[in-house]
Amino acid sequence: MVTAVAERRFLPRQELQALIDVLAEDGRRVIGPMVADGAVVYDEVHRPADLPIGVRDEQAPGSYRLVETGSERAFDVTVGMTSWKRYTFPPTVPLTRASQDGGGLSLEPAPEPAEPMAFLGVRACELAALRVQDRVLTGGPFVDADYRARRDAAIVVAAQCTRAGKTCFCTSMGTGPEVSEGADLVLTELDDGFVVTAGSTRGADLLDRLPTRRASETQSASADAAVAEARDAMGDQVATDGLHDRLLDALDSPRWQEVADRCLACANCTLVCPTCFCTSVSQRSDLDTATVVAERSWDSCFTAGFAKVAGGSFRNRRQDRYRQWLTHKFATWIDQFGSFGCVGCGRCIAWCPVGIDVREELEAIAPPAERHRKRPALATGTGPATYSVGTIHSVTPETADTVSLVIDGIDPVIATGTPGQFLMVEQPGFPAFPISISRYAPGHVVLTVRAAGPATAHLTQSEPGTQIGLRGPLGVGWPVERGLGKDVVIATGGIGLAPLRPLLDALVASRDRFGKVSLYYGARTPNDMLYTGELASWAELGIDIALTVDRAGPEWLGRVGVVTQLFDQADWHGQPVVAYLCGPERMMQVALRTLAERGIPTERTFVSLERHMQCGIGLCGHCQMGKVFICRDGPVFSVAQLGDALNVEGL
Amino acid sequence: MSEHGLSARLSESWFGANLPPHALSQLAEIAQLRSYPADSTVIREGVPTTEFGIVLTGRISLRTLVPERGPVTVLTVEPGDVFGWSAVVEPHVATSTVMALEPVEALVFDGPALRRLLASDAALAATVYPRLLTAVARRLVATRTQLLDLYAGQEQVAW
Repeated sequence: MVTAVAERRFLPRQELQALIDVLAEDGRRVIGPMVADGAVVYDEVHRPADLPIGVRDEQAPGSYRLVETGSERAFDVTVGMTSWKRYTFPPTVPLTRASQDGGGLSLEPAPEPAEPMAFLGVRACELAALRVQDRVLTGGPFVDADYRARRDAAIVVAAQCTRAGKTCFCTSMGTGPEVSEGADLVLTELDDGFVVTAGSTRGADLLDRLPTRRASETQSASADAAVAEARDAMGDQVATDGLHDRLLDALDSPRWQEVADRCLACANCTLVCPTCFCTSVSQRSDLDTATVVAERSWDSCFTAGFAKVAGGSFRNRRQDRYRQWLTHKFATWIDQFGSFGCVGCGRCIAWCPVGIDVREELEAIAPPAERHRKRPALATGTGPATYSVGTIHSVTPETADTVSLVIDGIDPVIATGTPGQFLMVEQPGFPAFPISISRYAPGHVVLTVRAAGPATAHLTQSEPGTQIGLRGPLGVGWPVERGLGKDVVIATGGIGLAPLRPLLDALVASRDRFGKVSLYYGARTPNDMLYTGELASWAELGIDIALTVDRAGPEWLGRVGVVTQLFDQADWHGQPVVAYLCGPERMMQVALRTLAERGIPTERTFVSLERHMQCGIGLCGHCQMGKVFICRDGPVFSVAQLGDALNVEGL
Repeated sequence: MSEHGLSARLSESWFGANLPPHALSQLAEIAQLRSYPADSTVIREGVPTTEFGIVLTGRISLRTLVPERGPVTVLTVEPGDVFGWSAVVEPHVATSTVMALEPVEALVFDGPALRRLLASDAALAATVYPRLLTAVARRLVATRTQLLDLYAGQEQVAW
C-alpha cells in the first residue's frame, strides 16, 4: 500500500492553489469536482473556490441532494454524478474519417487525443474503476488507442474519503475507502489542510515542487482515523464471497420479474457507472457523403436495440436486460476480466429514477447461505447509555391524550434520520421509551406522544424549556424510494399516522416523482384524529385523503366504518402500487388481506410493527420476534420479509 | 328513467355487478330511481322496512339511538353498497335509522314486491340471495373489527 511506505507530507489549506498551479503547468487542464445544476460534476478547475467547498452530498436510492455545511473543506462530497470516464472514455469520440473524392476512398483513423489533463480528487472507488476499464480496454489482445492515449495523458491526484454516503459500498467490493494503487498523489483532507503522499515517480516530482512540510504524527493519525471512520460507516453491505456462483445459479429467480416491474430501462445506471464500457458506432456525414465520420458513442444493455439482430432482440424484456447487467457486473465480468465490474460507488443507486438498489437486489436474488451482512455503524448513540440532550420548544395538543412536541437544540445527527426511524427518550426518574420521529425540520424534530403510562404522561405534560435525553435516530424506516414512479397507498389508524408523517412530507416534497398517493386514515372518533389541520393542506398538495372513524355523533358527516371499507371505492390495483401501513396490528392484518386480494405483492407492502423496545439497538432482547429484532431490523418490514410471522398468535 | 337505464345503473353497482341479464331486467322492472336531499331520513329505526336500496351516489349513515348519548352513527354506506336489507329478511323491521348525509341518489325496490318476485322465481332468488348474504356478512365482519375498538388506549404501560 502506497500510503504505508511513502513519506507523508502536509499541505496547508491555503496552499491548495499551489497544487492546482503545479498540476496546470505545461498547459494541463485540471479537472476536479465542482457544483453545477445542483449536483457535483467533474469539470475544469482553476482555483480552490471552483471546488465544492462547504458542500456535502446526501445520496440515497433515487435521491441526490447537496447541502451546505459552512465547512472550509473542499472534498466533503463523495462521488459526483458523472465519473472520470467522461474524460478517459468520452460519451462520443470520432473513430474513422472516410473521404471520397473522384473514384478513391480513403479511410483515416481519427487523430489520437493528446491533451494533457490532471484529475484532482479521484476517489478510491473511482481509481478502481479506472483500473477496471484499463483491463477491459487496454488489457489486450486488442487495445482502444483513444482510451490509452487519454489515460497516459492524465495525472491522477486521489482524495481518500473521510465520510461515506448512504449509497457507498466500496468496502464490500474491496476498492476503498483507502487508496491502494494507481494515483500519482494521494490527499487526505484534514480541517487545516491535506496529508499528501506520492504514489509514483511523477507524483514524487510534483510533491517536491509543492510547499509542504513533513506531516506530524498527529496529522497522520487523524488522516488514518478519518478514513477508518468512513470504512466503519459503510460496514460490509454486500456478501461478495461466492457471489459469482450464487448469481449464476439464480438465472431463473422470480425476482428478475419483480425488478423489471420497477425498472424503467432508462439506462441511467449504465451512463453513471464508471466501468460500463459498451458502445455503438454511428456514421455522421456531409450531405454529399464526401466525408463521413464514424463516431463511437456510449450505449447501454438496457436499450431496446442493444441486443437486436435481424430476427428480433435477444433481450426483449426488461427482466432480461436487468439480469444481463447485474450478472455481468457481479459474475461474468470476473470470468472475462478477473475482477468484479462493480466498484461500489453507488451511483447506479442514487441516479436510478425509481431507486433500485443493487445491494438489495443482490441480497434478494443471490442471498448468501448465512446472512452475515454487517450493518453500517450507527452515526451516534451506539451504546444503550449514549444520550444527547434536546430542549422542548413547544407542546401542541393533538387529542385528549396526545401532544406533539417540537424538540430543538438537537444533535445534528438526529436530523439526518429518515422517515419511520425512532428515538429513545430519557427523562430522569422514568424508564426510557421509543418514540417515532413525526417530522424532520431544519434544526428540530417533532415527536408525537400519547400518554400511555407514567413516562409518556410526564412528557406530554412537560413545559417548554424542559430538556430531555435523546438517542438515535434508530431502526430501519420506510423505503420511500420503493414508491418512486408508482401509486402509493398509505393505510393507518389512530396514532399510527405519526411515524408516517415524515413519509408524507417526503412524498409531498417530490410529489411529481410518485403516482397517485392515497391516504386512508381511521380513528376511534373524529376527536381522536391527529394533524387535522394538516390533512387539508396535504389534500391541496395532491394526496387523496379518505378518513373514517369507528363511531361518531350526528354532527360528523364523514365516513364511519373500518378503514378497509374505504378501499372498496379505490381505483388502484396490483402491480403499480406500493403500500405503507402503520396502526394496530389487527387493523393491519385486515388491511393486508384486502391489499393481497387487490394483487399488491408482499414485497411492496410495508408495515411498521410495534413491540416492547427497551434498548433500541437489538441488545436487550425485548422486541425479538422470530428471526428479527423489531428495533434493529425494523420497525419497518416488508410483509415478504416477515413471512407468516404476522399471523402467529403470541409471537 | 327507462328500464334499460335502471338495469345499467344496477349493473354498475357493487351489488348488481355481473348479474345475469334476466335477473337485471326482472329487478329493473320493480326498481325506482330515488333522490334524497341532504339531511333527510330514508328509513326510521324500529318501524317496518318497506324498501331495499342500493346507493348510487352520495353517502348515507346508519344511526342507532342510544337514549343517553343521542343518535350514534355506526356505519356510513358508500355508492355501490346496500341499505334496508331488513325489507327482505324477517321480521322486516328496520334495525337502524338511515339518513342521507349529502344529496343521495339510490335505486330503491319496494319490499313486498321484491319478496314476491324472489319467492316466485327460484333462479332469480339463487342469484340475489348470495349477494345479499355477502353484503350482510361484509358488514358483520367490519362491525366486529369496529367492536374491537382497536384505536383505544390499551393497557397502561410502564413508560
